[in-house]
Amino acid sequence: MNCVELQQSLADVEDGSSREQSTHLRTCPACSELLEELNLIVSTASQLQASDEPSPRVWNSIEIALRQEGLIRPQLANGGWAASSFAARWGVARWLVPAAAMVLLLIGLQERGGLLPNRSTQEAVIVPQAVPQVANYSGLNDEDLIQEVADNPPAMRSQYEENLKRVNESIQDAENTVKESPNDQDARRSLMDAYQQKSMLFEMAMDHPLQQ
Amino acid sequence: MSAAGKANLTEPQKKSSTELSEAEAIERAKQGDAEAFQVLYDKHKRRVYSLCLRMTANTAEAEDLAQEAFLQLYRKIGTFRGESAFSTWLHRLAVNVVLMHLRKKSLPVVSLEETTQAAEDDSPRKDFGADDIALSGSIDRLQLQRAVNDLPPGYRTIFVLHDVEGYEHNEIARLVGCSIGNSKSQLHKARMKLRDLLKMNRAEKAGKS
Repeated sequence: MNCVELQQSLADVEDGSSREQSTHLRTCPACSELLEELNLIVSTASQLQASDEPSPRVWNSIEIALRQEGLIRPQLANGGWAASSFAARWGVARWLVPAAAMVLLLIGLQERGGLLPNRSTQEAVIVPQAVPQVANYSGLNDEDLIQEVADNPPAMRSQYEENLKRVNESIQDAENTVKESPNDQDARRSLMDAYQQKSMLFEMAMDHPLQQ
Repeated sequence: MSAAGKANLTEPQKKSSTELSEAEAIERAKQGDAEAFQVLYDKHKRRVYSLCLRMTANTAEAEDLAQEAFLQLYRKIGTFRGESAFSTWLHRLAVNVVLMHLRKKSLPVVSLEETTQAAEDDSPRKDFGADDIALSGSIDRLQLQRAVNDLPPGYRTIFVLHDVEGYEHNEIARLVGCSIGNSKSQLHKARMKLRDLLKMNRAEKAGKS
């Protein structure tokens, strides 16, 4: 067996343990090194399993979808999940609608071009400004959310707090990125996503007591 | 909603979500218990999301696919009878969601290079390069992650399924619709390509320092 045959044979016998492979490997440092490096890649690959954490947006979206589909059932006794009413939930999150409309409108104006004289500087500030206006409109802030979930079971409460912390970090990161690169569409999308995550978080938190 | 299920939800001695075993969470999720859904999500989210991220190399797509996988799981959880491990069931479901997505995007789940560039790519290289940089010691997880992202989609699929997720070649062949021999060949090429990418990365770093 030569080096070429050894390489070909590794597709079938990947540990190099066949008699022909072993014979070649004993006398060929290059092929031994190749095998060692492939083994190193394989052993490191398992570390990639479950190595990444999804953003809170994923669970928030799942939860909303589950409730919309009626897969999550109300939990009435301990103040947890209340009956889900789509109309009522969106009534609570009424401030989300003008928020989204405002942001989309401003972005739309920019996309059409010409209406805003200084595109790069406007983009950097418009999106971040939109949500504080919404927050004022709704009168809701992070403290309100924490208070709202204070009566929930500890696990759920801590989950809300953790999600709030993460989403605030996401917003901060995204705002910084947008300020640095106002024309970066991905960054602006990330910022929109982060705002949306926070809106959903408020929506879920505020939903429960009103339903009881 | 059954009356029995409702009673179960309102039992005063109901365990908190942190105390639920997976089996209990599955049973409660079948009854529509929101906390049980979240327990199952928290337990498996990293594995499912990482699988999606490795196979797509795109954060936004991976999040959407993880979401879709869990939604499908919750929609079907009533049919789970426990014949296989729950994690096996979920991960297979997630793999199918990702493969379906790749097919919709017309990305090859098995690399086309296998058949179209056989003459060039299938020939093992005889020299290992005078400027070869050894990968001896260890490979940084992030370096490998980046290299996996740079693999052609077909190679990446097979590598992630086999070396990261631990699927056997016969399972991979069934999932992606190729022969076992093709799966083995693709995997070998994926590893060789990764080795090249990692060495290039090291060479670049060595050149800068």
